[in-house]
Amino acid sequence: MISFITSHYFQIGTVILFGVGFMTLLLNNNLIRKIIGLNIMDTSIFLFFITIGYTGGREAPIINGAFKGIDAYVTPIPTGLMLTGIVVAVSTTAFALALTILFYERFGTIDLSEVMDSRGD
Amino acid sequence: MQGLHLTSLLSILILMITAFIMPVIKQRQLVTKISLATMGVVLVMLALVAVDVARVEHYTATIGHYDAPFGITFDIGPIEAVVGVLFAFVSTMVVWYASFGIHKEIKENRVKLFYTLIHLLLASLLGIVFTSDLFNSFVFIEVSTLAACGLIAIKDKPENIKATMKYLILSSLGSGLVLMGIAYLYSMTGHLNMRAIHETLQVSVAGNERAILVSLTMFTIGLGIKAAMFPLHIWLPDAHASAPGPSSAILSGIVIKAPVVLLFKVLFMVYGHEILKDTVILNLILIFGATGMIMGSLFARVQTDLKRMVAYSSVAQMGYIFFGFGLGNAMGMTIAIYHILAHGLTKSCLFLSVSSFIEQTGQRDIDNMRGIGREMPITLAIFSLGGLSMVGIPMLPGFVSKWNLALAAIDYGQIFLLLIILASSLLNVSYYFPIIINGYFGNANLEGKIYKSKMKPVRELVPLILLSIMMVIVGFGSGPILDWIASAMPSL
Repeated sequence: MISFITSHYFQIGTVILFGVGFMTLLLNNNLIRKIIGLNIMDTSIFLFFITIGYTGGREAPIINGAFKGIDAYVTPIPTGLMLTGIVVAVSTTAFALALTILFYERFGTIDLSEVMDSRGD
Repeated sequence: MQGLHLTSLLSILILMITAFIMPVIKQRQLVTKISLATMGVVLVMLALVAVDVARVEHYTATIGHYDAPFGITFDIGPIEAVVGVLFAFVSTMVVWYASFGIHKEIKENRVKLFYTLIHLLLASLLGIVFTSDLFNSFVFIEVSTLAACGLIAIKDKPENIKATMKYLILSSLGSGLVLMGIAYLYSMTGHLNMRAIHETLQVSVAGNERAILVSLTMFTIGLGIKAAMFPLHIWLPDAHASAPGPSSAILSGIVIKAPVVLLFKVLFMVYGHEILKDTVILNLILIFGATGMIMGSLFARVQTDLKRMVAYSSVAQMGYIFFGFGLGNAMGMTIAIYHILAHGLTKSCLFLSVSSFIEQTGQRDIDNMRGIGREMPITLAIFSLGGLSMVGIPMLPGFVSKWNLALAAIDYGQIFLLLIILASSLLNVSYYFPIIINGYFGNANLEGKIYKSKMKPVRELVPLILLSIMMVIVGFGSGPILDWIASAMPSL
């Protein structure tokens, strides 16, 4: 158990962060806090992906001078994927923020619980 | 023919390019014409793809000449081809319908944006269906979510903003779960291509059981939120009821179908039946589907707003699709895919006719729809056809789904599931028939109504009529369609 924690602390950290972000997004009523939760959740996934791609002792896959063989470099795919992921997260955040402004203009509050009617259906 | 293989990719590209041309064009009429022409071209291209698939069974389009495990490929078989044609057909008809009346429902300066969003939406939905790269599908899902949110918020009423907010928040939760699921799969297998993941997973199941179960749950819940699986459907009624009419038709007809197709591919093509049969996921989907069939109908029954009622009926119908997946046998899966077709056509028909009721009468309440059959006979006829299909009158697609779903349930060995299908059908009768009967019959209802007084010009009803004709064709031609879909089912 202890050895699992010491060898996987990055992954454990990202999963905890994911949980924090997820619950903030789900349970908080304040829209700005929800958006912050969304960002924490997305960032934790990026971290998770990047820790998958990292192998201790290897360099970034940029050939500077001589090529040192395949084993000298980490795999670039997760990092590349996460660039796309970040773009997606930024656009979602931007859309959510714009919608929050509209929401505030219409209802005069950014608290969801004040606006949502609990009809129960 | 290799050249033809890229038509699937080309159809997405054309949609994306035209989407961004529209905002810079000045005249609204021109924008409408470009949109209609593009949709027509895409429909023809996807029909060609389907014909091609029918000839060679299955093909792969590689993007940028990088082959499968490393590059992104479009794997197109009968399921993808059928769903692709459905998406293009429904969008074409909805755009056609919208070209007559959308400027009455939203602000004049937003009409161009409406077409831009529809093009982006269709492009991303086709992408979700066609792609065989998991990360690529995630990006398409995000594009479709934002475009769908735009289509709801475009009306600018307070309830639209509220509904969009709800949809965006729940959708973001779903996307987060899906991406985390992809991360788990990538860390276990080192691949993103569906087939490569499948092959690697088969040999590395031992020792990874928990990680597989966690990722499966993430995919099911994440995509379940987007596809309105029963307990996760809470965003759907608000979003679909408040959106402008054509938007609702697209949202209910095709937007919630794309995640279902992706879920199907993830469950049966990525994980495969060998892994699924050791987990509880399929039983869970079966239970959610069955509850959705009953509860969705019960909620629809108590609605007083016509559009909300039709939206809740979508929840019930999505239940049928999940029910089919949950059975997990070849017949159940085939009928789930067929029901995507059936419900896509029927529900877009229903939403478009409901939106013309609302547009012509200015009323949304079910009680105010009495006698509508004298004022708008053709539209109510189309609505009735859709309602009959939902209820399951023989030869209409809804009946074919229910009949075969019942056979699949018997095949599965649980007879009590038949009762759920029967109960759900009876509930459907209880909320569709009163509208039809009160619309056409009853002296008190028809008093003071003038025949055809509120009818739309027939040329504006052509897309609706075409949709309902297509619906009947899919019902009558269910035999060959079912056989074709069944030929693509992954072997169990």
